[in-house]
Order: sequence, then structure tokens, then C-alpha cells
Amino acid sequence: MRNLCLMAENVQSDLRQSFLFFTPDFVHARYAGLPLFADIEAAFAPLKGRVVRATLAASRKVVELVAIFGGQWPHSSYMLPGGITRGATARELIDCQDIVDQVIRYYEDEVIGDSLDNWLALDDADAFFSWLDAAPHAASAIGLLTRFARRIGLQKTGIGARHFLSAGAWHDPQHGPAPASLPGAGIYHADTGQLDPFDPALINEHVRHAWYRPYPGGLHPFAGETVPDYQPDTDRYTWAKAPRYGELVVEAGPLAELLTGGDTLIRSLLASEGPNTWLRQFARLRRTGHTLHHMKQHLADLAGQLGTPHYLPPPADAFDNGEGYGFVQAARGSLGHWIQVEDGRISRYQIVTPTAWNASPKDSAGRHGHWEQSVIGLELADPSDPIEIGHIVRAHDPCLVCTVHFVGRSEKHRYGV
Amino acid sequence: MLFVHNLPPVETPFMATLLWLQTGSCSGDTMSLLTADSPSIETLVRNGTLDILWHPSLTEARPGGLGGLIAEIEAGTRPLDILCIEGSLITGPLGTGMFDSYRGRPKIQIAEALARRARHVVAVGTCAAFGGIPAAPPNPTDCTGLQFDRETPGGLLPPDWRSGAGLPVINLAGCPTHPTTITRSLAMIAQGLPLELDGLNRPRAFYGSTVHQGCTRNEYHDYNLEETQLGGRGCLFFNLGCQGPNTLANCNSELWNGRSSKPRAGVPCFGCTSPGFPKDGDLFRTEKIGAVPVALPLGVSRAHYIAYKNLAQAAMPLRIKNRDMEP
Repeated sequence: MRNLCLMAENVQSDLRQSFLFFTPDFVHARYAGLPLFADIEAAFAPLKGRVVRATLAASRKVVELVAIFGGQWPHSSYMLPGGITRGATARELIDCQDIVDQVIRYYEDEVIGDSLDNWLALDDADAFFSWLDAAPHAASAIGLLTRFARRIGLQKTGIGARHFLSAGAWHDPQHGPAPASLPGAGIYHADTGQLDPFDPALINEHVRHAWYRPYPGGLHPFAGETVPDYQPDTDRYTWAKAPRYGELVVEAGPLAELLTGGDTLIRSLLASEGPNTWLRQFARLRRTGHTLHHMKQHLADLAGQLGTPHYLPPPADAFDNGEGYGFVQAARGSLGHWIQVEDGRISRYQIVTPTAWNASPKDSAGRHGHWEQSVIGLELADPSDPIEIGHIVRAHDPCLVCTVHFVGRSEKHRYGV
Repeated sequence: MLFVHNLPPVETPFMATLLWLQTGSCSGDTMSLLTADSPSIETLVRNGTLDILWHPSLTEARPGGLGGLIAEIEAGTRPLDILCIEGSLITGPLGTGMFDSYRGRPKIQIAEALARRARHVVAVGTCAAFGGIPAAPPNPTDCTGLQFDRETPGGLLPPDWRSGAGLPVINLAGCPTHPTTITRSLAMIAQGLPLELDGLNRPRAFYGSTVHQGCTRNEYHDYNLEETQLGGRGCLFFNLGCQGPNTLANCNSELWNGRSSKPRAGVPCFGCTSPGFPKDGDLFRTEKIGAVPVALPLGVSRAHYIAYKNLAQAAMPLRIKNRDMEP
């Protein structure tokens, strides 16, 4: 049930990010002369486009599932060490099945123009591009997004770190690591197509260029510190820390999740064109299909478990002393929390968010973060309106209001995006 | 008999301009706004109630961007009917506000300048209303609310401050604000409908009953069956931190997402619409004097409450004692 609720949250986020954040940038005066523009506007105009309105309805439908178990969405607090506050009855199971079925219907009708099963069966780049030629697929939201994004060259921008990190998608708390049917963890390397195991001990955070009390090199979160130290007019330039995986700058998010999890279509598209802005956005909508499939499967499994305990209280002294960490596949990528407890009180708490991986500044060795690498060298048609940067950064689903910094050939600019 | 084609179209004379500024925020209130179904935000735009000049998640890029819009409003060349602020007002470090800036200018300065021009100022969420979680002790970034600093009147704006329409900041408290409380309040303001405020400047229409009202665990509360461990069917008030009986909000009379509420799902009410939210202590534990909570249901005297509880417990039917009732 925790997995189900997390899946519902990711579905709402993926859909809203795609059609409330990413595609609005297509409805821009600069693109008004392009052949597809009328279709783009009809589908994607903010608050008014056909796909946008359908997406608003579907995204508020899917979080009803969280409200059923957690009482409300957003800001629910029903997950506890040991379970959740309320179990499922058959009545709630039927309600959840209906919610998922309604959202799958929206996904099939609006987003892909095909059945979920056909869509998930596409397994390489050639199969996808032939699929895209069929009229209903070309006219679907993902068809329009793909054709337009590729028309404006987004398959060639936003290369970035070339290494991908995912701590895995969902967990099976009673049976150890997630079963092979769920996407797994790993570090995927774009240049070799190699998948390495994920080792949380290698995570470390630098603050050399961030406004925190300085320390040398990187610190593992169990030794980490976050002491604000605002130093304007220095070579420190952000409140974001710089997480690194060993020495590697890595990228987190749905693209990383599908690469480590083994989606052969996504691996094939990466092999043929390398990491890019379109693929990142495409992967997010592709993930929604996988997630909806897993939601149906989880509900089928839940039907066989109605009436089993939903909360197994931990022993009374479980929280007196110790340390622990956990990862979850948040909407924007792998999220890690590290906690240490002494005498019943939290002595240290460190969080590494997916946006921190992506938005990180330079580290102690001067290595640029993933977004920085993605935009350095980018040609801007109009530096007073750097929409090219907007496409690249938004494809990562950044925090709502963000500032991107980059260095031009001879002068330093600062753009709000 | 009259037919529609014989009648003139219904006039919609109101079209309120709205600017939504995020300050120290997690975007939870925006997420809540998007979840409102009746009315939805897209309906309010399509039917002409709202003209959203800017919302960080909902509007297209405009020539000149947010910066140009702020400049026009400040200069008085573009009227602003509704200013929505989402997030705590960050005054640190050292009073500069530079923990939260837009193009090198502290957001608190922008919020103040826009508020001066707006007909109505709406604090969406407990952060903007009272300071919220960021302003809780130890408040490392020196956060405050727009016109309250937690329980104390006066925040970024002084207690006697009034907007262009002569109203104080309208506080749509909640963490996040209930979805339809946002859209319905905005529709009421846009249409010039009366919006009676309580002593904390929250609209009575949405903060006029306790969270306890409508809770499906009420029978367990009535007969004093109080859980000591989460995950059960009974009441959460005596031991597990529930603040439903002393919190004003519509969570159990207007269900969240049309489905449920925290207490119905077995989660204690955290009192998130109150200026003291979050309380300085364990949200899942009730502070008590003897066997009875320190904070009683609103307005109830301790002696009467204890007497009532003793009698109620004696009257407890077996179906409650056995926890047969599904909350």
C-alpha cells in the first residue's frame, strides 16, 4: 500500500511536470511559425489546452488513492515505521481499482493513443519510430511532444553528466530487496552501456562553492553538516550542495530509473543518440506507463492480502540509539535520508535530494554539476530570452522557481528561469 | 415558456487579475490548488472569474517576464486585484531577506511592494499566514507570516495594515490549505461576495467548525475509547496527539480529494490551520495533566469534561468497546 501511494504520487508529478511545466515552453512566440504550432497550442496552452485540462483532471484523480489510505493529498502523514495507519478493505480496493482504471484510460486516450500493453511492448528505437508514424500515435500527447521537441532540436541538447544514478524504484519491506519484476538500482554509464551496482557508501557532498561553513573535500551524509554561511561576492554561488558518487558527477531522475531498471527502449534510444533533453522528458512519460502497470499489479496482489496486519509496531526501545538510512524513488529521482539518534534524540539528519544531484554546483575538484555541464557551450538565439536553457532544466523537473547560472564566452550572466 | 436561445447570455462582469508569488515555500499549496475540483482553477480561468497574470507553475512566459510585471504593478500602471503569497516570509540572514531573493532583490521586499498596490492580499497556507514550519523554533532563517508572527499580530506587515479594498491579509491557513478553500475563496473575492473573517483573519465560511466535527471516529471519542497505539480504530485525541477538537478547519465536513481526512485515515490532526502550528513537541503524542489532555476541546471546562468522560466511559456500548465500528 505504501508502494501504491508512492506510485500515485509519481504519476501525478510526472503528468503535471510534463504538461504544466515542460510543454508550456513550446507555446512560445519564437515557435509560432513552425508547422506543428497550431496543434501544439491546441494541446498544450497553459490551463486551456486539451491535454492540459485532461491532465489536470487525471492528476487530481490519481491522488484520490493516497487520500483513501492517507486521509489527504498533498501533505499526508500515514506512513509509520512499521506500516501505515489504516488497512485496506474490499470497498477501498474497488475504489482504488476504479481510480487506476480511469487514469489508465486517460493515459491511453490522451498521452499515447494506444493500449498500455502495446506501448510497454515497444522495445527499441526502431520500433518506436515506426510506431510514431501511425496517425493516432503521432497525434497523441507524447507523439506531439516528441515530434515538436525533435523539430526544435531537443534531441541534441542537454547532454550533461553521462552517468546515471538510481537507488531503485520500490521496495518490498517484508521480503528484503525489491523483486526482479520492479526496476532495480544501479549506476548506468552512457558511454559504455555498463550497469554497476549502487553503493550508498560512495555518496559524498561538497560545499566548496556553496554558501555553507567550509570543509575540505566531500563528506558522507553520516558525517555531513549543513551550516549556512552566506558569502556573497566570493566564488561561492548557491545554496545547493554538490553531491558526488565517489568522484563521479551523476544525474538522477526517471531517465536514470529506466536505464538502471532495464527498459530496453530507453537504453536503445540512449545508445543511438546519447543523453538529451527530449529523451529525459520522454522517459518521464514512459515511466508513467510502467507505474500504471505496476499499480494494477499491486492492487491485484493486495486483493489477496486484505485483512492482514497493516501496522507492526517496532519495539519500544527501537528509537533510543542508532543510525539508519533509506532511499525512495521520489518523482524527481532517488531521494536519500540519513538519520543518527542518540539518547532518543536526532543527533544528525542529512538529506540528499534528486534536485541536489542534478543542480549541484562545482565541487572541491572544480567539476561542474550536471545541469552546469548540460548548458555550458549552449548557443542561445536570444540571450535576453534563454528559452533553450528552460527546456533543458525543466526536463529535469526542477524545483518550481529556480535560478540557473552559467558562464558565457567572455562575460558572466545570470538568468532567472 | 422561455428558451435559452431567447435570453441574453449570463454576464460575468468580474475578471480579477491575480499574481501568485512563492516565498519560502514547498509548493504544497500550489499542489493543493491543482487538486481543487469544485471549482477547479482552470474553470475559474475559463469562465472569466480570474485572469492569472502570473503563477510560477500555471502561466506561460510573458514578455518582460515576472520582473517586468512586478515593475508595472509597483509603478501603478497595471492594476492588481488579488495578490496571493505562498510561503513563509524569510527575513534572514541578518534582516536582509537574502536567503530568498529574486534577481538579487529579497522576496520580502517584493511582497511588501506588491501588497501596497493590491486590492486584496491572500496568504495561501499557514506559512504565509503565520510563519508555519519554517518559523517554528529555532527558526534558523528568521521567518514570519505576512501579518502575524505565529500567534502575535504583526508579521512582515503591521497589525493595522489594510489592502486597497480595506481588508487585512486574508489568511487561508492550512498546511496545505484545503484545496477548495483556495478556489472558493478566490472566486468569492473576485465576485465581491461577502467574506467574513474570524479573529485570525481566516474566512469563517471555511474555518467555522472544528476538525472533530464530522470525524468518523466520533463515537469512540464520545464513549472515551482512546487508542494508545497508531493503526487502530479508536479515537486519537487522548494519547496520539490529535488536535481535531481544538482546531478550526473543514477537513471532516469537506473531505480531502473528495475521499477522506487525516483523522478518518487514522492520522492525528496536527492543528495545521492554527497560528501555533507546528506545536513545539511530538505531533503524535498528547500532552496530559493526569489522564486528561492539557488542550481540551475548544471552550470546554476541565471539571465538566472529566465528569462527562467518566459518565461516557461507563455508558460505553460493547460494539465500541470491541472496536466493531469501522471509522
